[in-house]
Amino acid sequence: MKADGQILRVHDLKASIVSRSQTVEAVKGVTFDIKRGESVGFVGESGCGKSVTARAIMRLAPEGTRVDLGGTVQFGGRNLLTVSEAEMRDIRGRRIAMVFQDPLTSLNPVITVGAQIEDILRRHTGLSGHAARERVIELLAQVGIPFPARRVDDYPHQFSGGMRQRVLIAIAISCDPDLLIADEPTTALDVTVQAQILRLLLRLREERGMSLMLITHDFGVVAGMVERVNVMYGGRIVETAGIDEIFRAPAHEYTRALLDAVPRLHRDGVSP
Amino acid sequence: MKRVIVVRSMWMGAILLGVSFVAFVLMRALPGDFVLAAAGAQMLQPDVLDAMRRDLGLDRPLIEQYLSWLGAALHGDFGTSFVTRQPVLHELWPRFLVTLELTLTAAAIALVMGVSTGLASARFRGAADWIVRLYNGFILAVPNFVVGTLIVLLVGLYFPELAVLSYVPFRDDPLGNVSGMFLPAFALALAISVTISENTRAAVLEVSNQDFVMVARAKGLLPRTILWNYLMRNALTPIITVTGLQVATLLGGSILVETIFAIPGMGQYLFDSITSRDYPAIQAIVLVAAACVVFVNTLADIAYAHADARVEA
Amino acid sequence: MSEAATTNEPAIAGSRSAVARRARPSAGRLLLGLGLAMLAILVLVTLLAPLIAPYDPSATSPNSLEGSSPQHWLGTDAIGRDVLSRILIGGRTTLFVTFTSVAFALVAGLVLGLVSGYVGSWVDEAIMRVLDVVFAFPVFLLAIAVVAALGPTVPNLILTIAIVYTPAMSRVVRAPVLSVKKWDHVEAARSVGMSEFRIVIRHVLPMVVSPIVVATSLTLAQTIFTVTALSFLGLGPPPPDPNWGGMLADARQFMELAPLTVVGPAVAIVFATLTFIVLANGLREVLDVGSDR
Repeated sequence: MKADGQILRVHDLKASIVSRSQTVEAVKGVTFDIKRGESVGFVGESGCGKSVTARAIMRLAPEGTRVDLGGTVQFGGRNLLTVSEAEMRDIRGRRIAMVFQDPLTSLNPVITVGAQIEDILRRHTGLSGHAARERVIELLAQVGIPFPARRVDDYPHQFSGGMRQRVLIAIAISCDPDLLIADEPTTALDVTVQAQILRLLLRLREERGMSLMLITHDFGVVAGMVERVNVMYGGRIVETAGIDEIFRAPAHEYTRALLDAVPRLHRDGVSP
Repeated sequence: MKRVIVVRSMWMGAILLGVSFVAFVLMRALPGDFVLAAAGAQMLQPDVLDAMRRDLGLDRPLIEQYLSWLGAALHGDFGTSFVTRQPVLHELWPRFLVTLELTLTAAAIALVMGVSTGLASARFRGAADWIVRLYNGFILAVPNFVVGTLIVLLVGLYFPELAVLSYVPFRDDPLGNVSGMFLPAFALALAISVTISENTRAAVLEVSNQDFVMVARAKGLLPRTILWNYLMRNALTPIITVTGLQVATLLGGSILVETIFAIPGMGQYLFDSITSRDYPAIQAIVLVAAACVVFVNTLADIAYAHADARVEA
Repeated sequence: MSEAATTNEPAIAGSRSAVARRARPSAGRLLLGLGLAMLAILVLVTLLAPLIAPYDPSATSPNSLEGSSPQHWLGTDAIGRDVLSRILIGGRTTLFVTFTSVAFALVAGLVLGLVSGYVGSWVDEAIMRVLDVVFAFPVFLLAIAVVAALGPTVPNLILTIAIVYTPAMSRVVRAPVLSVKKWDHVEAARSVGMSEFRIVIRHVLPMVVSPIVVATSLTLAQTIFTVTALSFLGLGPPPPDPNWGGMLADARQFMELAPLTVVGPAVAIVFATLTFIVLANGLREVLDVGSDR
């Protein structure tokens, strides 16, 4: 942990996706940092490289992605791009956790929800047996699953999309990570459920002092959730500012376009 | 789920009925009946032959013969063998058990071989992948009876102590029985293992591209945890069902291996019955064989439906 | 600029997929070339067998169960016949039955598949049901049953095998026909007044070629198995014609004394089967037939 409170420092991260026919530069030199307890939004349309950036940090990039080792990802005093896979395994889930977009496909269909929370607990905290089960039920309650003691032995297909996303959030926060990366956590959910999930993330963050990296294409999602915003386009960060500033006076024309895309109930004087 | 089971079972019954009827007609419709076969080289008078036929009920109309057979069969009476004059069930049952043992052993061996090579192929890609695929391609080219014969040859030449051709009934010597089963089961297993291997590889690759596997990695779980709880547990269902279907086809292949290793199984019995036109025996064997195939297929379908329910919902 | 590294590490470690991808197209061509070469050898040897066989395959001699020697490259069998000659001539019969029966199955499959797929409706249903019944029987058992009952002559063998493999062939043909039927330019051709027959020939048939070619090669491999297995059981072409399966069965009695009597036909069978498997795989890669890569 750095003295100035930054837990994640990404410098000049570059990544390309290599396929049979072509090489596409998905991330063209991205630099940013996240402080302890801070919540940062990454906004941009599909294909702008925000997901690849997040996954590159976790070293979970899609198959065929090449990350240029000229860039660095400083976390916990180490460059995550060069640590061993074994070290990375200790970090994933424990120090940095991630929540993905599609709750319907993110859970293992053949083992119970409780087992899927227990296995990460067992891996990183040494809890097992009865103690682990207690903790699992506690976590399910914290994320707002009703009747957690009953539901702990249910299978994923017995939960709705919104509930499954809560379970995935429970998994992510179970070992008290320093940083939670949420990649489009609400995109696949109904609008009413979206608000609930975002409120949940907000609450958990405040309770635990966890840093949050919130990735989305929708400015409406980051409003009220983050302190700073990085706007991404074409593999680069094109604007970075505090949340109020961005809404008030977006500098980049792309930012303006994104802001305009957010449906509003009434005009309240924000610049078009 | 219950509905699936009921419907499938009804289908099973219908198919078995159809199969038994077709077999019945096929045997009767072909030239040369049992009486002629039994008479063999002897030049018997036509009326003597006719008397024999009347004796065996072969002069009655086809439908009548079939229905009376069916009626008896539903009571578990498969008639009397023309050849041995013993109840067919008596002859068939022990032989069925032998073939069953052979088939199940072969399935187990094939599963072990196939899953391990398929897994290696999927896990390690590159060189391992090519080696496994070349190996599989080559194995496919060697028919099981060639494998069996070569095994017997090799053992005879270099390991004469392993008396390969001595089948020992289980009751007499359990250990000898099982060890005697190993080589013939291996010969049968080889071809099946290729299909299992390819299916394992495909299934594992498909599962590893699923989101929940990525989530498992994001949890920092150990590779072996991911392999067993996330990959294999999801890949095994298609693998097992394919194995089941392959096992069903083993019933056709066992006759060759049984001949080579002198194992008194159902396949041998069928062959002998066909050549001697022992109709009741043929009927019974065909029915049992078909029943096994249909049964295994039905189980496979049900397993799929069960797995789908959990994945789809 | 520093070196790049692949960040993906699937739980199933190490992806060399980039390398594998580059290697694949030429691997297909390699296989195809190999398969064609093997096929050429097979065909040549079969055609030239009577010329290159050193002895009459039925000629017995007092030198029985001998190993390899300059006079008999693969030794002799129990009644002194030259193994090499028997393999060469035996190949002719085996391969003749194989090719002929598959040819019949192919033609029947093409006709049935085209008709069934193109005409559709109850014709399709009817044909498919009938074929399903045949399909339901374990191939080998059915072959045994029919040949044992009808008598093991060459025409019977060919007929039986052709019938047994027709359902699979028709399925392979029917699938692309079903999808092509829906294509726009088939509709267009029809609206311009092109006769159905011409539509089939010009639009539908080409789509069927690739999968059918691969399927035929695979069926040839399976047929060699069926033919040799049947003759192994004594249901093959009757003597004096030698055939590989029969040779293998006969050799069992004294095989420890003269292993070549077993190894010879075994290698021949494997070579022939391998030819068609390699060919099928090569064709599949090069023609890029339907598999999900």
